[in-house]
Amino acid sequence: MSTMTRRTFLATSGLAAGSAVLSEGRLRPARADKPLSLAGWVFKPDTVKDYVDFYNRKFNAQVKYEAIPWAQYHPTMETRAFGGEIVDVMYCNHNNRERWYENGLLRALDDLPGADELKKKMTPANLESLKSKDGAKLLGLPYFTSLFILIYNEPMLQQAGIKEPAKSWDELVEQCSKLKRDKVSDTPFLPNWNNSPSGTMPQFMTDCFSEGAQVFDAKNRVIVDQEPGAARAMERWQKIYKAGLVNPEIFTKTSSTDTHRLFWTGRYAYHTNHSYYLKTIAGEPENSKLAPKKAKMVMYPGTGNTYMWTDSYVLNAKSKALEDGWKLARFLGGNLNGDWYVQRQWCLISGLDNPYPEMYQAKEIVESYDRWIDLKLLRRQYEKGKVIAAYKEPWYGEYDTKAVPIVHDLIRGALTVPQGLKDLVKLQKSLV
Amino acid sequence: MSLADVNLLSASGPALEVLGVRLPLFRFVGLRNYLRTFADPLYWSSLARTAYFVAAFVLEATLVGLGMALVLHERFPGRALMRGVLLIPWSLSRVVVGLLWVGILDFEFGALNGLLQRLGLIDGSIAFFKDGFSALNVLVGVYMWNQAPFATLLFLAGMQSIPLELYMAAEADGAGYWQRLRYVTLPAIKPIVFLVLVVATVNGFLMLDLIYVLTMGGPGHDTTTITWLGFQTAFTFFKFGPGAAILYTLTAFCLLLTFLYHKVMFRRLGGEA
Repeated sequence: MSTMTRRTFLATSGLAAGSAVLSEGRLRPARADKPLSLAGWVFKPDTVKDYVDFYNRKFNAQVKYEAIPWAQYHPTMETRAFGGEIVDVMYCNHNNRERWYENGLLRALDDLPGADELKKKMTPANLESLKSKDGAKLLGLPYFTSLFILIYNEPMLQQAGIKEPAKSWDELVEQCSKLKRDKVSDTPFLPNWNNSPSGTMPQFMTDCFSEGAQVFDAKNRVIVDQEPGAARAMERWQKIYKAGLVNPEIFTKTSSTDTHRLFWTGRYAYHTNHSYYLKTIAGEPENSKLAPKKAKMVMYPGTGNTYMWTDSYVLNAKSKALEDGWKLARFLGGNLNGDWYVQRQWCLISGLDNPYPEMYQAKEIVESYDRWIDLKLLRRQYEKGKVIAAYKEPWYGEYDTKAVPIVHDLIRGALTVPQGLKDLVKLQKSLV
Repeated sequence: MSLADVNLLSASGPALEVLGVRLPLFRFVGLRNYLRTFADPLYWSSLARTAYFVAAFVLEATLVGLGMALVLHERFPGRALMRGVLLIPWSLSRVVVGLLWVGILDFEFGALNGLLQRLGLIDGSIAFFKDGFSALNVLVGVYMWNQAPFATLLFLAGMQSIPLELYMAAEADGAGYWQRLRYVTLPAIKPIVFLVLVVATVNGFLMLDLIYVLTMGGPGHDTTTITWLGFQTAFTFFKFGPGAAILYTLTAFCLLLTFLYHKVMFRRLGGEA
């Protein structure tokens, strides 16, 4: 057994430590000083974790991902920013993007390499959604885009001898009334009137648009009290509610997800909700009685216009790892190194609508959508998607939430249509 | 916070640094947040609903808790097991309680509607959350189911500390069950009643999670209480100053009611001593 002198030990360990430091530096020249952080609200967190693991393996990166419940997500991120924590890449919904930008939580992306190319690849409406209020800056890369569609239960219509799904609102009300009269369904219509931000108000805008009404003017003021189409939509809502065509507990459903699950039962004839929910309704036989493809979409009645918005990935303005953060953001919301990995996966796994049209040219995506939806029809509906700019106003989030009880009271007949629409205008004025 | 204009995102503005800790200086606004709160009609309608909710909940939780305690104070086979089972609703997270009761009461797939239909007692399903008043009472009932076991536990502890000699003396005087309850049990557990009333009142005022899971304050504003309004104002609208002001008013109500309970109960205790 050989012995080691103190001098040899120090020299050897010094050499080993030095080579470890040098080799670490040589092998990881592009790695940030500390792990990159990514935070998002809970939507398929295991899937997102898979994306992050894939990214870490592929790029030898150290991204740490954290999922925060949806309802607390934005306040949590603000509280953390207040405490001085810097989360490098964050999800941000459309309602909060401008607020975060104006308060210095997120940075614009226009000056970063490759941003212009991604802008060119996006549908103009989605690009417009992602820009700052003045239209000058790109504030985020798309996570997904969402639009409302009309879904129908084909077996139920056939059972009732209805040959074609409704093409107009009058026809839809008539068919639903017949289904109730014939005791085929107690509550044939399932509109997305739930109590969450993705429910009643997007549905309200959708139905106003489908009646040709504007909800906001060019200065983002609520003008529904001057729009005959808005009054028509609300009169119809009152009528179908009063006739008992709708699930009477719809107002206390807490999410669009909960609402769409009701349609799985096969007890409803028509449903309006975000397009991607048709994937579980018509594509998951283990959950839904209407799979495979017994539930279908039909073009939205009236003008066919429905409300559309884009949620996003944003970069923290104070991130100390901007280069790495931007790389991760492009991996998530763009095509890092020409690969649309995450965007493609969201299409395949969840059927989320995508703001990059070229996504729908890929064979595997077309085949995947064909299993649960008429993709050509969905793309036609997408072209009818209408974006608004009002959500970039500081008052919008509060308006959007406080408007829900007014619309619920209107539907339930506690307010007349003119009074309800006036109350919405009054509400917005009170917040400006 | 309730006296300031608080915007968490503007924390990069002026600040005071104490021992390396940065304390943002929010703008002092005096009583403005309170004045705005009191000028909002929704605050007052929410207060009325909160008062109803708290009164109904305190009454139900106290009476049911006392009733269960009286039963469990008696000797019968399986009493130990029953005392253990009793605590299950109280030990559940309120989010779980909410989801459990959605499963029981839901219009579409609720177990209760299914059972009643199978028994032939109803034709169509009952919509417990359709009407605002009904939804508010469902909240009261569910919260009572969750909280009454704790009241039972307190009452039982109080009853077990009553000397047996008192009951024996009452029996020797010819007192029946109801007389023993009226003249021995209830006076002896008055301090526990006070405790249950205070705890139930505070819990009633602060209840938020069940609203979050079951109704989100709807339909309309029909189940919006002060707690929900304060929570929404602070964490949905990011108005932390007004949100804090709304919630501080609850603290004031809790203190006021505790004082009143104390006054009433101790006056009576004093009279009987």
